[in-house]
Amino acid sequence: MPKITLRDADKSYGNGIINAVSDLNLDIEDGAFMCLLGPSGCGKTTTLRMIAGLENLTSGEIKVGERVVDNVATATFVPPERRDMGLVFQSYALWPHLTIERNTDFGLRLRNVPKAEREARVNAVMKTLGIEKYRDRYPTQLSGGQQQRVALARMLAVNPNVLLLDEPLSNLDARLRLEMRAELKRLHAEFKTTIVFVTHDQWEAMTLATSIAVMSEGRLQQVGSPNDIYDRPANRFVAEFVGSPPINIIELGAGSDLAMAARRYFSDHVPALGHAGSVGLRPEAISVSERAEDMPRGAFGVDATVTGVLPTGGSWILELRTAETTLFATTHIAPRLKDGSRARFWVAPDALHVFAADGTRLTQADDMLAAVARAQPHTTKKIA
Amino acid sequence: MSGVGVSTVAPAGRAAKPSRSAVLRYRAKIALREPTTLIGVLVALLFAYLIVVPILSLLLDAGRVQFGDERRIGEPAGSFTFYYVLRTLTSPVASDLFWKPLVNTFTISFSVIGISLVIGCILAWLLSRTDMFARRWFATALIVPYMLPAWTFALAWTTLFKNRSVGGQQGWMENLGFSPPDWLAYGQVPITLILALHYTPFVILLVGNALRRFDSQLEDSARILGAGPRVVAWQIILPLMLPSLMSAVILIFAKCLGEFGVAYVLGLPVKYDVLATSLYRSIGSRQTGVAAVLAGAIMLIGVISLMIDARLVREARRFVTVGSKGAMARRKSLGKWRLPATGFAATVFLISVGLPLLTLVLSTVMRVPANFAWSNFTLDYWIGTNLETVAMRSGVLLTPDLWRAAWNTLWIVGIASACSGLLGLLVGYVVVRTPVKPLSVFLRQVTFLPYLVPGIAFAAAYLSLFAVQRGPVPALYGTAAILMLALIADQMPYASRAGISAMMQLGRDPEEAAQIAGAGWFRRMTAIIIPIQKGALVTGVLLPFISGIKGLSLFVILAVPATDVLTTYSLRLIDYNYTQAANAVVLIIAGVAYFGTVLAQKVTKTNLADGLGS
Repeated sequence: MPKITLRDADKSYGNGIINAVSDLNLDIEDGAFMCLLGPSGCGKTTTLRMIAGLENLTSGEIKVGERVVDNVATATFVPPERRDMGLVFQSYALWPHLTIERNTDFGLRLRNVPKAEREARVNAVMKTLGIEKYRDRYPTQLSGGQQQRVALARMLAVNPNVLLLDEPLSNLDARLRLEMRAELKRLHAEFKTTIVFVTHDQWEAMTLATSIAVMSEGRLQQVGSPNDIYDRPANRFVAEFVGSPPINIIELGAGSDLAMAARRYFSDHVPALGHAGSVGLRPEAISVSERAEDMPRGAFGVDATVTGVLPTGGSWILELRTAETTLFATTHIAPRLKDGSRARFWVAPDALHVFAADGTRLTQADDMLAAVARAQPHTTKKIA
Repeated sequence: MSGVGVSTVAPAGRAAKPSRSAVLRYRAKIALREPTTLIGVLVALLFAYLIVVPILSLLLDAGRVQFGDERRIGEPAGSFTFYYVLRTLTSPVASDLFWKPLVNTFTISFSVIGISLVIGCILAWLLSRTDMFARRWFATALIVPYMLPAWTFALAWTTLFKNRSVGGQQGWMENLGFSPPDWLAYGQVPITLILALHYTPFVILLVGNALRRFDSQLEDSARILGAGPRVVAWQIILPLMLPSLMSAVILIFAKCLGEFGVAYVLGLPVKYDVLATSLYRSIGSRQTGVAAVLAGAIMLIGVISLMIDARLVREARRFVTVGSKGAMARRKSLGKWRLPATGFAATVFLISVGLPLLTLVLSTVMRVPANFAWSNFTLDYWIGTNLETVAMRSGVLLTPDLWRAAWNTLWIVGIASACSGLLGLLVGYVVVRTPVKPLSVFLRQVTFLPYLVPGIAFAAAYLSLFAVQRGPVPALYGTAAILMLALIADQMPYASRAGISAMMQLGRDPEEAAQIAGAGWFRRMTAIIIPIQKGALVTGVLLPFISGIKGLSLFVILAVPATDVLTTYSLRLIDYNYTQAANAVVLIIAGVAYFGTVLAQKVTKTNLADGLGS
């Protein structure tokens, strides 16, 4: 299975007026389960379609293994039908005039696979996906989840090098979605295909992918493992896009009480970070001490009033108000705190995300804050 | 925000931008990779020739000295002149040629719009939002006038009201001893009434559809805030209905503008001209230049009205919400008005369908009009032999002329419709799929162009272009080919719209899925696109076929005796005063059109109303 490489890939519409994708450099490793994540309109679907060959580049190059499939400078373009990939559409795009079986064996017939082998393969794929009993039905006679399986089966039947999935779970209800997620993970293990997956749903990305590429406004923001993305977001966009409830951001330049508290904290503990632009606190990294003196030394803490306790089933979201600012925290143990109670809320130093004024992560801050944490052995990262 | 990631964003140095020639080479390769673009270019050329060139040639005729006018104008043929424009607009005959017909056209159009809006809106509301009796039946019955040729009703009217002013068989009224005055028998009053009744179905369909889709939550919200029914009607429903009302108004206006048959049958006896009949007369009297000016004027009015429409609709659509899930029209209980309302619908049906058809049917089996004695009834006009008349010596069904005309209609309109249907789908495919944007825009616009040009002006354009040999194209006048070409061009707005919407609805996905699966272009066409679009193709052929059968304005100018079709044949019978035979032919056309429409709806499981959104 080859690796997919995008080099300086650009895609613009209307003579460069709209840039769907700009300067995209991305390596998708062989056997990866790569997820393209981003809000709608960020260029993730365009990227997927460029890989498939359904869109051509405006400039740049795409390679699959050593084979150049799209290069503007050398006028190379391999049409989608010769790229040997599979693509599952968001709408499934099953052919309404063909039965499930004919939908599934379409690719094999095109490849003139002998009948016996074709049937064997179709049977195997249908069995894997549990759709063999619908083989003589038409797509409109199936439910959304079943259609989704047929769309997958149709692509898996030809055993493509690369399987591309365009928001395939977005039309399913919550339960089916969970099932299909597990199914996709199993299929990835079984078929060992490289999978590229587009979604705007961060949980889908986190749970499925081995690697996530976060995009915004046509530009790649960060590539990394799900943990990387969550724990070390490369910039403010990634930090704010991933995570629910979203990360609390304190603008250090602002005049709010929290900003002043944070500036004081940095000047006390890591003066070198005085030039930072903002600091982020993940809601679940926020711990509580009912008495201020119980807060571990070296932690960043503020006093705040609980103004709302929102149960989400198994966990709670706390709305906290300092004199001027609102923060959100999550907890998995039933909060002892009632509405209106006041307490000290704090975050361990190594759980702080520090960003420069332009929004990029200050990676040197991570080491400095880790050093602060090490100096205070009782300050653990997460208490909940 | 800069795109610098922490981890594995590839560190490639920015490659130099490819050169302009390389980009062009790449684009050409993408564009020509598949036959789509090539087909698109060919189709675009075809339409440029079938649509743009005739219109341009016609407009040029308006400013060029025509053959035979050299002496009068004092310039050689072909040189530039304002003579025709001046003659049409300012000369002593301008009033008869242009201004009176113009005023008449507008008077008729606006009266027709007014009447059909009032009747149509009431009926639309009764049909879609009340508990009137037999709503379902009326919903179909009241649409019937639209399926029949308009001049069917004009003939029915003359059958009833024809008076002594004109020779030939008298109308029923006259024979019953009551002599209808000219204003009732001919001209503006009957033309307006007939057209109003004929176009009322547009209003019923368009407004009715909008009313059905209207989200009743919008009404409910207003009511909860304390608005009475009148406030709701004027401040909530009416503003939101405006786009559909506007489409109905413009549609009717455009149709009135090009309407020929009714004005011809009912206006001629009292020299009451509208623009379309004036144009027809100019062509008939070989005043090509003046005809071109008139045709240009009709086109101009058409273009202006559509531009107004586009603007108003765009304004109105800005705040129109898409019908939401709450769109469930509640029916209002009419209470004691239930019976009168039903009576109103029944009356409209009787006047617009029942009475005219009955009159026509009876007129074809009666020797003397309005004499209901048993001995007066006969089937001679249908199947008689050795009659005493001069020319029509046998019943119309036994006349070879009828069958020749029927056969001509069938194959000429049939081939043209099949071509339009296919071309429409092809245009839809290219418009939706070509990577070359300008091609898509051009095709979309050029195929819509004939919509702005009333049939009669379009026919005049064809006449002007194809009457003589031009380059490799022989003179086509008098052949079936010119009829077919004109029909195809005339039907393209509908055919291409149907094709585009079918392809849009299908979307790219099914084809792209096949592409991903490894299917090349021809394979995708034969295995995916055409099988899926079978239904759309059938509609795209059947609907033009039906409108072609009842169409008159193209044929009346382009057909010659050798290419006689049913419509021109019946028109000739009228001219010769074979009233019964003419009515019989018209009934045949009406029957074919009606059953064809019903069949088309059955086959394609569509509703006429859906195709009317234009």
